[in-house]
Amino acid sequence: MEPLLSIRDLSIAYRVGTSEMLAVENASFDVPRGAIVGLVGESGCGKTTLARSLTRILADNARIAGGQAVFDGQDIMALSERRMNALRWREIAFIPQSAMNSLDPVYTVGSQLAEVLCRRGNLSRRAARRRSEELFEWVGIEAGRLGDYPHQFSGGMRQRVAIALALALDPKLIIADEPVTALDVIVQRQILDQLRELQTRLGISVILVTHDISVVAYVCDRVVVMYAGHVAEAGPMAATLTRPAHPYTMGLRNAFPDLASAGGQLTPIEGAPPNLLHPPPGCRFAARCPFAQPACTDTVPAPVTLDDDHVVACHRWAEADTLRTRAERSETWMART
Amino acid sequence: MKAITAIGSRLLQTLFVLWAVVTILFLMFRLMPGNPMAAYIDPNFTPEQQDALMARFGLDRPLWEQYFIYLGNLLQGDLGESFFYRTPVTERILALLPNTLILTFSSLIVAYAFGILAGSYLAWKRGSRVEQVAVPVVLTTRAMPEFWLGMILLAVFSFTLGWFPAGGTRPPGAEYDGYWALYTSRDFLVHLTLPVLTLAIYSQGLPLLLMRSNMLDVMKEDFVTMARIKGLSPFTVVIRHAARNALLPVTTSFAIAVGYQIQGNVVVETVFSWPGLGRELVRAVSASDYPLAQGAFLMIAVVVILMNLIADLLYALLDPRVTRE
Amino acid sequence: MTNPDTPRRAGRLRRAFAGLRLPLHDPLAIAGLAIYAAFIVIAIFAPQIATHDPTEILFTDDFQLAADLRPGEDGYIMGTTTLGRDVFSQLVWGSRSALVIGLTAAFMVALIGSIVGVVAGYFGGWTDTLLMRLADVAFGIPFLPFVIVLAAFLEPSIWNVVIAMALILWRDTGRVIRSQTLTLRTRAYVEAARISGSSDVKIILRHIVPNVLPLSFLYGSIAIGWAILTEASISFLGFGDPTSISWGYMLQDAYASQALSKRSYYWFVPPGLCIILIVSAGFFISRGYEKILFPKLDR
Repeated sequence: MEPLLSIRDLSIAYRVGTSEMLAVENASFDVPRGAIVGLVGESGCGKTTLARSLTRILADNARIAGGQAVFDGQDIMALSERRMNALRWREIAFIPQSAMNSLDPVYTVGSQLAEVLCRRGNLSRRAARRRSEELFEWVGIEAGRLGDYPHQFSGGMRQRVAIALALALDPKLIIADEPVTALDVIVQRQILDQLRELQTRLGISVILVTHDISVVAYVCDRVVVMYAGHVAEAGPMAATLTRPAHPYTMGLRNAFPDLASAGGQLTPIEGAPPNLLHPPPGCRFAARCPFAQPACTDTVPAPVTLDDDHVVACHRWAEADTLRTRAERSETWMART
Repeated sequence: MKAITAIGSRLLQTLFVLWAVVTILFLMFRLMPGNPMAAYIDPNFTPEQQDALMARFGLDRPLWEQYFIYLGNLLQGDLGESFFYRTPVTERILALLPNTLILTFSSLIVAYAFGILAGSYLAWKRGSRVEQVAVPVVLTTRAMPEFWLGMILLAVFSFTLGWFPAGGTRPPGAEYDGYWALYTSRDFLVHLTLPVLTLAIYSQGLPLLLMRSNMLDVMKEDFVTMARIKGLSPFTVVIRHAARNALLPVTTSFAIAVGYQIQGNVVVETVFSWPGLGRELVRAVSASDYPLAQGAFLMIAVVVILMNLIADLLYALLDPRVTRE
Repeated sequence: MTNPDTPRRAGRLRRAFAGLRLPLHDPLAIAGLAIYAAFIVIAIFAPQIATHDPTEILFTDDFQLAADLRPGEDGYIMGTTTLGRDVFSQLVWGSRSALVIGLTAAFMVALIGSIVGVVAGYFGGWTDTLLMRLADVAFGIPFLPFVIVLAAFLEPSIWNVVIAMALILWRDTGRVIRSQTLTLRTRAYVEAARISGSSDVKIILRHIVPNVLPLSFLYGSIAIGWAILTEASISFLGFGDPTSISWGYMLQDAYASQALSKRSYYWFVPPGLCIILIVSAGFFISRGYEKILFPKLDR
């Protein structure tokens, strides 16, 4: 089946002073229908910029520098502003990281739901009210709380409100930007379970942006690993996380408790991502990679498809199995000079 | 519970300030150079009248006793008698208060309506040529002496073009059945136009600049970005979300502006011969009509203090985050 | 051996002077500074620039009072007043009283406000409570009416405005400087100085004052405009000093002499324009300072 969204060679640039910086460069991946795709990476790797670009609402100093994002047969990046706006929220909705700041403090959550339902969904006041009650029931909040203001909800409840808001117009795609990052672990699970359940029931696709690979493992069908503006590795969740082919993914896996192999200890990846104003010429991970070779610092590795839609951008992709064994030992990550 | 304590302590503070201002006023008018009794006794009164007033204000008693008599009289609304009009000061002040309030409120409503719209517009047009020219122009209107602006408008629209009368609230000789008939008459509106315009031009700068800078702040908020991601129209984003939030501090500034304007009215009322509290204060001071001057001053001070209080309470009332905690 | 105190002291001084640096990056502020410079030159050389004694009653060649002459008539650049005085010369001399009043009043306001703010913020406790309640009271006194009453009771003098401003308008500066001092007091180096036993006076002079100075300067530059506007209002209402020529006095003279109905624009327009120029120059400069002090605002 044709994927819902197909991103090809997408680049997004930020103007910094007089120069430009590519926050996302030549990113390509697919979002199948009815799947949750995790977009994972350290902060500053471009995952949020990429996700936000799908709404075409970017920061003032950002622009789409090239590439396509074909959504349901049409390229989002080439649409006129009018046609793009018709798509927003009806087809592509958004769940922000902090619902506290993303809900308008001076309106009740009910009137913020009604705003979207009436102005964007062309529902009558009465129909909007019924729909709001239904949405609140779905996300597990009493309908009576529609009349409350955002600050009267707890963090987890606000996030549920944000989910209800995103589901309001039956979108095909929901972009969730770190939807559970600000919450404690138990609430995180509840919200993720809820999201998963609604997504399956309604057959929606979700792009879930997160820095937390355990969230990906918990809820995603597919995963896209980004590093310093590049897609390092992408593939089905189970295959990619159990048999990662990119050293960055291997390192990332070691750094999170739920996935570290039994008995293994948590090992952070030493160093910091490169400055994207002056990116290194070769593989962007080379400076932190324990397996880097001279070729790695010269040329950018081209993406290679392994099997099963599993794509990796690494010069040493053929040796992935051996590297993986070495990567499981924490000395590998510490013994570098 | 917390909110009630906060409001309570704010009310206490207001009472304290009122008391302090009343006391300062007492000292100012008693301890001024010259005869301490001059504050209440017109030298032109007959000896019998002078004696009666001496007794009424206890002017033959020591200062501290006079102070308590003064406070007692104040609580009963007795501010003495005007030397010039020979009528109770309270009566005169209350008769003039509506004129001042009408002038103040109508000019501020015009100023705020314009300032809020223009301020939002300038925030929307951030960085454009219009904005670069408009901001210094607005700053310049804040630098104008109000009375001079009034003089210019008078010279142009009244004396040169003849479109508006030169002052007062009604044509000479016109009579009306009570205040209501006067205030709703066309004559009154015609007389009101130039003074309102003067004060409005001077006052629009505050809401305009405040609205503009608040809008610039609010436009950076996540919920404004979210409104755009929701595909809401630019008008909805700017007016329903950005402007609605930016409006909060501007609304509270209205109350402060009333208090501020009512003291500034002194000069504009004088230029336009507008029978209000400010002009009365100036005339009373010039004519050494001390009871009347004291009364007018006190009334203006009360409005200022009340407006400062209302500004604080309004802020709590309008922001759901403050009230509903 | 280097004295560890030297670089730190230099840093403090530099910080203090960074705030006092002229805001030369902002075109509006530069315009403001240029306007000030022009008025200062005019005020200093008033006797040389003015063509007549501003209070002298002038007569025409045929011994008639030189009253209400239009600009250019009989060689009077900007015409004459109803009493036969030269408008241009009054305008030139008016810059002197405007600058004298503006600068002294601004200095007083900034000085008193800063002292109150620093003392209240640094010592806290009942000192703070007392001073801040005083500020509340000052906010409750209507300013212009207060100046009028004060001017009526005291001898007519240009200093009445300065006194009244010093008595009332310290309140805004005081509150701002107080909250600035409160945050400074919790800084590590102030804590350290206190623990090491430095005296309060020493801490205030070495650590607090250099840091609040730029703010005092900002509020002072705003107060210049207020003082000039207040003086103009007071003179216009007839409570000014009748012996000194100010722009407010000129406007009062014009208003009282029916210049409006005579349409003598040449008489009452220029003094107002001068006031606008010098007051808005102050606003422009203070905005330039705000940009230096609060770069994040950027507006």
